[in-house]
Amino acid sequence: MKLHQKGFLLVELNKVTECWDYELIDKALVEYNVKGARWVNTFRVALDELSAAGLTMITDKKLDDGSRVGIDKVLFRFRLTDFGRTRLQETGLLASTP
Amino acid sequence: MAGISLDSALHKHYVRNQRWGFLWALWVAILWGAWYVPGTALWFEKPYADIDTNSQSTVLAATAVMTWIHALSVLLFLFIWNAMLGKVKDYARTFVRFRKISKWYALASLCGGPMAIFGSYMAMGFIGPIFAAITSLFYPVVGAIIARLWYKEKITSRAALGMVIIIIGGGVIFGPELLGELDLDNPNVWLGYLGAIMAAIGWGAEGAVAARAMDVSDPDSGIQCRFTFETLFWGIIILPLFALFSDAPLLSLIMDTLSNGTAMLWIVLGSACHAYSYTAFYKSFGLIGVSRGEAIGNLHAAFAVLFVLMFTLELPEWYFFVGLLLATAGSLVMFTEPAESIAHLREQGEEEPCL
Repeated sequence: MKLHQKGFLLVELNKVTECWDYELIDKALVEYNVKGARWVNTFRVALDELSAAGLTMITDKKLDDGSRVGIDKVLFRFRLTDFGRTRLQETGLLASTP
Repeated sequence: MAGISLDSALHKHYVRNQRWGFLWALWVAILWGAWYVPGTALWFEKPYADIDTNSQSTVLAATAVMTWIHALSVLLFLFIWNAMLGKVKDYARTFVRFRKISKWYALASLCGGPMAIFGSYMAMGFIGPIFAAITSLFYPVVGAIIARLWYKEKITSRAALGMVIIIIGGGVIFGPELLGELDLDNPNVWLGYLGAIMAAIGWGAEGAVAARAMDVSDPDSGIQCRFTFETLFWGIIILPLFALFSDAPLLSLIMDTLSNGTAMLWIVLGSACHAYSYTAFYKSFGLIGVSRGEAIGNLHAAFAVLFVLMFTLELPEWYFFVGLLLATAGSLVMFTEPAESIAHLREQGEEEPCL
């Protein structure tokens, strides 16, 4: 069974040091076989919630030239925080390190 | 053509999130307030209108039956919601992770369901509905304290001030009627106080526990998990316990409710309000935090009076308008917080001073 959406975003982010939101969203769109602006916004809101809750942190940001989510929208580069990694372990989404 | 600066775009992004968070919380209050109309009307329909109010066990059993059927109907509305959003599979994927994730939704449903609802009915039954309504206004304080202690949610001075003003506003709306309701000579009055504490702790804790679950899961999926557990708790544990240990006519209560078209109409209307009020409740937490989401939700006190006014066409007393003014002022105090301060809801390393 596939992971639930927020869990998937966190696990994918854990696989890399840092990642732009549109890269994560592209992976999620493929994973769940969905497309369209509504789904992009759904995943962007999920990423906002993860950042607000402190599971991820913003390491960089830039303006979208219109090729990703919309002109003059902000694109974020995220990194998983130690707290986020702990949450992943607590919730069984990431195996605990010995 | 020159576009906007990154700082300006970032500010717009955070303001948009803040507005959505408060908008969801406002919907909580509107729909919660609207719920009181069908929620109260149901008690005037058969089989509930015929219940002997002197028999506490029968009243509690009727409450359990009503709440269970109501929760099943809420679950149906949530299924429709998630089907429209394409999140039914996400709900299933979240629900099956019981040991690590969805157990928190089970706990949230215990806090907000059996604990808070039973507590509220105890407060209503042993003291009175006004007392129950006033004491439930304190649930954001409980939620804020738990969120603060458990996962260090930032509670700024302005958020705390707004919360206090909204609670005072709710107290002013209901308070004057409370004086005519209190009967301190009643030897069972302590059960009313106990129920009030259960309600405030139950609803407050639910928000904090649900927000903990939503660290790693979606609010739309999460609320459906929460109501799935609630229907199971009532249907598999609580109602069978009533059947075993009381002589309340559970089966006839269930059949009479399902066969009474008017009673079912009130349940369907009430559960539609309840389903989407709770959905908005959970969606607000991720954007503005448990403390603000629950405090704005407290505006339901004002909306409840306004919705009742629409049906009775009787103007409320003057103190309602004072309470409404205070509750609105408290909301504005919260809403005028800088959007950037809400962008990070929890303390991480060095942060600006907060309560």
